[in-house]
Amino acid sequence: MRRDLILIIIGLISAGWLQAAQGQQIPGPVNEVLSKYCVDCHDADVHEGDVDLGITSVDWTQKQQRHFMERVLEVSEQKTMPPAEEDHPTAQERQIVKDWLSGKLLQHTPIGGTLPRRLSNAEYQNTILSLFNLPEFELPLGFPQDSTLEGFDNLGQGLVVSPALMQAYSDSALQVADELYPPKEALPESTVRIVGPEDMTLSYSAAALHDGALRLASSGSPLGKTCTWTGGMKIQHSGTYLITIDSSTFNPKSKEPMVLEVRAMDRAVDGRLLQDTLRVLKEIEVTSESPQSITFEADLYKGQILVLGWLNAELKLNGKLLSLLMRNSFERDKRFLAAWQAAAFPNGFDKASRGSGMRGQNGWELVKRHLNDPNLDLSTAQMDSKGTQKLLKIFGGHADTSPYAEALAHYYFEKGPSLEIHKIKVKGPLKPVPGPDEKRQIQLQVNVAGFEKSHLSNLAYAEKMLANFLPRAFRRPVDQHTLDSFLQIAREYWATGHSFDEGMHLLIRNILISPRFLYRAVHPGPFDDYDLATRLSYFLTQGPPDETLIDLARRGRLSAVHPSKADPSKMEYWVLRREAKRLMPTSHSAPMVQSFTSQWLDTNLLAGIMPSAEFNFTPEEISLAKSEVERFFTEILNKNLPMTDFIDPDFMFTSKAFANKNYNRGGKLPTRFWREALKVERLSIERGSRYGGLLGQSAIMMATANGVDTQPVIRGVWVLENILGTPPPEAPKDVPALTPETRSATTPRDLLARHTADAACATCHRRIDPIGLMLENFGPVGNWRETWPESGKAIDPSSVLPDGTQIDDVIDFKSWVVDHIDLFSNCLAQKLMTYATGRVLNHSEKHEIESIVKANHSKGNGFKDLVVDLIATKTFQTK
Amino acid sequence: MNCNLDRRHFLRGAGMALALPSLEAFSAPTAATVGPRNFVAVGTLLGWHQKAFYPKQTGMAYDMPATLAPLKAFQDDMTVFSGLDHRAVNNHAGWPNFLCGAPLKTYSLDQIIADQIGQKSRFPSLELSTGREAAEGHIAMSFTRRGIGLPRIQQPSVLYKTLFVSSEDRARTESILQSGRSSLDGLLADAKRLQRALPLADRNKLDEYFDSMRAVEKRMGRQLNAINDPIPRPDYQLPSSVSLEPSHQIELSDILYDLMALTLETESSRVLSLFIDGGGQVFSFDGKALGTGYHKLSHHGNSPKMIADLVAIETAHMRSFSGFIKQLKEKKNAHGKSLLDDTVVLLGTGMGDASRHSNKNLPTLVAGGGFKHQGHVAVDQSKKGSPLLGDLYVTLMQKLGMEVDQFKHATSNMNEVLS
Repeated sequence: MRRDLILIIIGLISAGWLQAAQGQQIPGPVNEVLSKYCVDCHDADVHEGDVDLGITSVDWTQKQQRHFMERVLEVSEQKTMPPAEEDHPTAQERQIVKDWLSGKLLQHTPIGGTLPRRLSNAEYQNTILSLFNLPEFELPLGFPQDSTLEGFDNLGQGLVVSPALMQAYSDSALQVADELYPPKEALPESTVRIVGPEDMTLSYSAAALHDGALRLASSGSPLGKTCTWTGGMKIQHSGTYLITIDSSTFNPKSKEPMVLEVRAMDRAVDGRLLQDTLRVLKEIEVTSESPQSITFEADLYKGQILVLGWLNAELKLNGKLLSLLMRNSFERDKRFLAAWQAAAFPNGFDKASRGSGMRGQNGWELVKRHLNDPNLDLSTAQMDSKGTQKLLKIFGGHADTSPYAEALAHYYFEKGPSLEIHKIKVKGPLKPVPGPDEKRQIQLQVNVAGFEKSHLSNLAYAEKMLANFLPRAFRRPVDQHTLDSFLQIAREYWATGHSFDEGMHLLIRNILISPRFLYRAVHPGPFDDYDLATRLSYFLTQGPPDETLIDLARRGRLSAVHPSKADPSKMEYWVLRREAKRLMPTSHSAPMVQSFTSQWLDTNLLAGIMPSAEFNFTPEEISLAKSEVERFFTEILNKNLPMTDFIDPDFMFTSKAFANKNYNRGGKLPTRFWREALKVERLSIERGSRYGGLLGQSAIMMATANGVDTQPVIRGVWVLENILGTPPPEAPKDVPALTPETRSATTPRDLLARHTADAACATCHRRIDPIGLMLENFGPVGNWRETWPESGKAIDPSSVLPDGTQIDDVIDFKSWVVDHIDLFSNCLAQKLMTYATGRVLNHSEKHEIESIVKANHSKGNGFKDLVVDLIATKTFQTK
Repeated sequence: MNCNLDRRHFLRGAGMALALPSLEAFSAPTAATVGPRNFVAVGTLLGWHQKAFYPKQTGMAYDMPATLAPLKAFQDDMTVFSGLDHRAVNNHAGWPNFLCGAPLKTYSLDQIIADQIGQKSRFPSLELSTGREAAEGHIAMSFTRRGIGLPRIQQPSVLYKTLFVSSEDRARTESILQSGRSSLDGLLADAKRLQRALPLADRNKLDEYFDSMRAVEKRMGRQLNAINDPIPRPDYQLPSSVSLEPSHQIELSDILYDLMALTLETESSRVLSLFIDGGGQVFSFDGKALGTGYHKLSHHGNSPKMIADLVAIETAHMRSFSGFIKQLKEKKNAHGKSLLDDTVVLLGTGMGDASRHSNKNLPTLVAGGGFKHQGHVAVDQSKKGSPLLGDLYVTLMQKLGMEVDQFKHATSNMNEVLS
């Protein structure tokens, strides 16, 4: 605690004005303005809001003092100071202050200053996934959250490493190492497992139990309709097994052997699987009517089961063959024909045939009852009768799903020919064999190392692997010293008698908890090509740099400048621009689009919002609304549309049904099919309408409300922060002595007016509230409304902007923003740059961005052009 | 025992008024007579509406105000404090003053306690939150010595698994822990070589890494020491599906309190903190949704309807809390002492009056801990030298057997009032 105290004192000394005497004098004209308008409240004695402007000099080398001066400039520019009721400086006086402050700040504020930046959780997940080729890798439930700063979860300063996070990294490293080098299971003792007929799976009418044996009757796909399998006996260890199958024929029609086919199938059984895609283990020729044992060896892999089918059954699940088979049967046996006719057409041939009532055992019992009926009507049992033709057509239809084919199978179970299975014996494993899991592990190991182990010694392998893998894992070249220290970890472990796999396992765990892996651009040198590759890649893809980027960095090409094609006297980052365009997200589901838009526009808050029942909003519609924002953003980016389209576009991305329901778009009524209702399209709209653009998008209006009622203050702050780029400062330290009295307020407008009656609150709320109230026409889910719900009073959306401009409503506001589009472009450009560089931007950096925005405006104002230009800045390319 | 004497000696030397405990404390401490060993802090983001929280009368015999009504049965087991705060900055950003005092985002009370008395249990401290928070990780309640804001466990299932589910393969767990620990020297040597070469600001940032690594290393040590001890398996059925929606915060806190009581009962951890977030979520009571979200209700503007809804929410929170106190009172520790006597429970907030973003006069309640409770203690802030909330924290820490005489800029204590 004492240490804390000392730190605070040191902080105060270095930050404070104790050193101001060493600084530069504030020039006379500036001092005059400050003394005239500021020092009444902000001098050493009163220092309202802890601000003291009674100073006479500034030490520009002090970061704290520069920050303070940036704030002074900001409030002067935004005209938030002096308070409304005080005297205000003239435009000329403000200009004097601005020129001086801006000039000094530019001169003294160095670009850069991102702190070592650990991977955000999303970046961490993507990095593991791509580094190890583990597409299924996901952070476990309860993985500690990132903390946000300036609205983003990827800022160096905000991303802390807590003990809980370090533990989670360590656990994840173990999980990854287990994928590559799982603990070796000792080969178990060979065991014998018996599967009886009653243990085999009966699916549809593929098999049936008769006289203690399992009978198969049909052949063909899908296997769920013709085969049986050892559902309860899953192989636990990949290896060679000795399989014995006892089988016999039942009522064979000829001497031709019945062929029993045995295949191996992975894990979960899906009856729709096609039999012939499975690995054949053995074809057994069954010729004896008494049980016959056949034994063979086969490799079975962990999780597999055996599938048994009768390859050459008479009953084939094929309409054409089945129809032929029945034609022959009917020709031979008129009673048989008459019985099927009677069962299938209980109401005569002109009426519909019996459908699923004929399925399986039921169907066959029906036929049998008629067969046994002494009064069975044989009058229509001719091949050319209508009933016969209709019957053959049914058999000739989709045989695999036909209930009739299943009924027929039961005829075969009972009468034969069918194939009988009596017992299956599986002995083993006799010796281990690598199964798919092991092969996958070997592939993963090769991916990581870059080569196969073959004859290399443990140490030689590890050394070569580290030389390949460490630069990829650490995203930059690795010196021998570092490589050796990792090698030493494996070496020591092997020296204490541990296996190759255990040593590699430990190595991977250590690599994944090294700060060189967990942090980006953590090295003593200046920002180099590798840092650029990393920053560019995480910015645009949220993942680590690919081979191409790393290769360009290695050759020093990424930051190389070339004469511009348009103007050879100018140099430009030709390669960097090309790579930026290559990596630019093209889909609304791209991680960058999802991550950036949801943090910039707060749509990540939607996860916690449940719209009130009165709005009739489903969770699917909420995600549809969220995706509208993402598709909208992606469209403007990909098509390089002008910045003004963010505010007032001639298109929207949503489903027709959603547009009709929420955007009063008129036209066709919502389709009743759910899939259609959620089908997102690019819909054309008129410019200058109340919908379209960020303001008024359902997801954004929802995120700035709470599902039940609106929150005008939050919406006002949201617009200032995310559209106009002039966020209000933190609420002041001085708070009203009493709770603002709003009891008699009948509308939100009255209510807010009272809120801001207090001078301390008014300075900011005068800017916030009018904008929030202007958006009151949008209800809690973005639904248009003209009256306030409780009072029923008409909503007055008129507003006054911070600069005094009178605004009628949201349409009017949109046209104002379009006229002042650089405000928005600067705001978005700053957000992008903060997200990309991971730091809060300083005056010089904002200044550089401002000039980029201005230049872009003069050449078409395309959004994609702006993003590429931002990447080519010094701000982007400085640590 | 020596420690105790030293502390008293020191405190007396420092010239502080201090009610000395009875001479019993000088006899050898036995399991039954030692002070409380656990600490629990519960904090609400939006605070507690003062008029419904502070009793009208001071002392033991006070009429239960609305929010405290669910605690009626425990009136003798708790003390309510009004008029205390840390003289910290106002508004939501100032909220972490609850456990940090001023300056913000520094070593928090629970972590100070955890670093001293929590190290011997399986988890030195656990930080919890009632379900998904309004904004991801927006405000931390607990901070390490270095000021790292600690993330919170939000899912009861994760907490349950952390506490009570062990790996099936003990031998492998042991070998993983051992190899992990013995390879750390090599890893950290390389990491330190990296850190040394960095500029100062970067070097300082990387200290977070080393601090956290040390915590992981310690945990490995604890796990290895206890590798053969069975993991407790309490007879508790976690509900099969738990909603993390902020609007189901009350239901969720009931489950978390159950797990917290189990944590203390099984001595899995001695220091727990629970954060109760306050976003725009809309609560429903008796099947009927309130018309307004929690946060907006806190800006009630003295509207009686809004205050009534706000107090309904706060009373529901208090009902859950009261269920926790009840469990602590009923459960006994290994020495037959009630868990409530064995646990100092602090319920409070960093927000004094949310309707005007004021962080003055923080509603505070202390329960259990073997204190002789005093009903309602009203501190008059206008009096010179009136105690700070930090002074109460000093008293709580001393009760837990810690040798401390200050908390941030609070350099006194409230032992005279509560002991």
